[in-house]
Amino acid sequence: MVTDDDVLKFISTIKNVSTYNFTNYSEKSFKRRAEKLLVDYKTDVNGLIRKVSNDKEFLEQIIRDITVNTTELFRDPEIWITLKYRILPKFKKNKSIFIWHSGCSSGQEIYSMLILLHQLDLFDKAKVFASDINTQMLENAKRGQYKYRFNLGYLDNFDKVIKENPYNYDEYKEVPYSDYFDIDKAKDIITMKKFLRDKPVYRKHDLVNDGNIFYSKFDIILCRNVIIYFNNKLQNSVIELFSNNLYRNGSLVLGAHESILGPVSNNFERTKGLYKKKPF
Amino acid sequence: MDYKAVIIGGSAGSFQVVTKIISALPKKYPLPVFLCLHRLKHIRSGFVEALSIKSQMSIEEPTDKQPIKSGKIYLAPANYHMYVELGNKFALSTEDPVNHSRPSIDLSFESVAYNYNRKAIGIILSGANRDGALGLKAIKSAGGVAIVQDPKECQVPTMTTASINATKVDYIFKTEEIINFLLNLR
Repeated sequence: MVTDDDVLKFISTIKNVSTYNFTNYSEKSFKRRAEKLLVDYKTDVNGLIRKVSNDKEFLEQIIRDITVNTTELFRDPEIWITLKYRILPKFKKNKSIFIWHSGCSSGQEIYSMLILLHQLDLFDKAKVFASDINTQMLENAKRGQYKYRFNLGYLDNFDKVIKENPYNYDEYKEVPYSDYFDIDKAKDIITMKKFLRDKPVYRKHDLVNDGNIFYSKFDIILCRNVIIYFNNKLQNSVIELFSNNLYRNGSLVLGAHESILGPVSNNFERTKGLYKKKPF
Repeated sequence: MDYKAVIIGGSAGSFQVVTKIISALPKKYPLPVFLCLHRLKHIRSGFVEALSIKSQMSIEEPTDKQPIKSGKIYLAPANYHMYVELGNKFALSTEDPVNHSRPSIDLSFESVAYNYNRKAIGIILSGANRDGALGLKAIKSAGGVAIVQDPKECQVPTMTTASINATKVDYIFKTEEIINFLLNLR
């Protein structure tokens, strides 16, 4: 059992020996991550603190262990349907479209976006940036390989977003999966096509410390189920970062159960499950 | 009022019971009521609507960091763990399932125990696994009230039996008795 004092001690140790700062993480889930570390590494709080202080590589491993990496292809199909019909078509007449996946995890939602862009003939004019604090996850995202049997839901989501039209049930577009990924049932692997894998620019990014590292403003920022791990204060500063780096009328896509609280919410208008930056 | 929150956990065979309980509570019930129910993975929406038809209290799936209010029913969203945090607000998480469950009843109950201590009321209903047993134990250990639906009345008694084995519960109640208890709190 980890006490609140243990957690504070652990956080302040990490802060002292590295640039990572978990002070403003959401307390409950952070504590659970800490408890999980103790079980996984068969140690106690003091052991963990000692190892973190003396072993840089171990510290980096801990950072990777602490992050939560739940995602899926076209997670919450409704929001992808909104992007497909309500948001992305508006960029057809633009020369470019800038997109940032912040906290992209293992990349399934980057590929969701790339597939959607390709379907809408926006692929070539899109600039897609992706970041995460977890370097292992960035590598996984670049590789674009996922378990097949465990993720059969991906195919259902793909059908809902790409093949079906919820606004017209008679319409059905036959799009073969093989346009975008290969399924190897024997090896139990889905592999994204190379032209998708080669598209994004990947960078390590820590939402606590780092500003905009991509030297561009964005039309769409996706940051899904990341700020749930932050407290109100950190949520506010992250949303402010996004607000400052979105173009007017740009869209911020959060997780289905995340919302913008506090003063920075005045910069946005909530519509159809996403946030639009107000045009002022 | 000696209490600050009610949390109800249920799984297989609990939907009817939950519906009965919440339909008996008045619109201005003096406490918040948290529901942590296992659902089939593909049924992600429509659940709130189904429960709302029967309930006088308003029901919602909370968003992260949403403040908790009395007189409302909050349903843990599908595929998220739902915690209450200090400052009387929710925190959601998509960490791995616990005992194959997300939401995990144990996690929600433990956070309620931690936050409300002896002012928490925990209720475990019908279900086919052992989730909730540790959570109810946490509520009891923190001085709160631990209630289980009478296993004899449960469609699937595994969950309630596990809870009874894990901790010395305060009451083993039939559905009607749970309702009476909740309506006569002081």
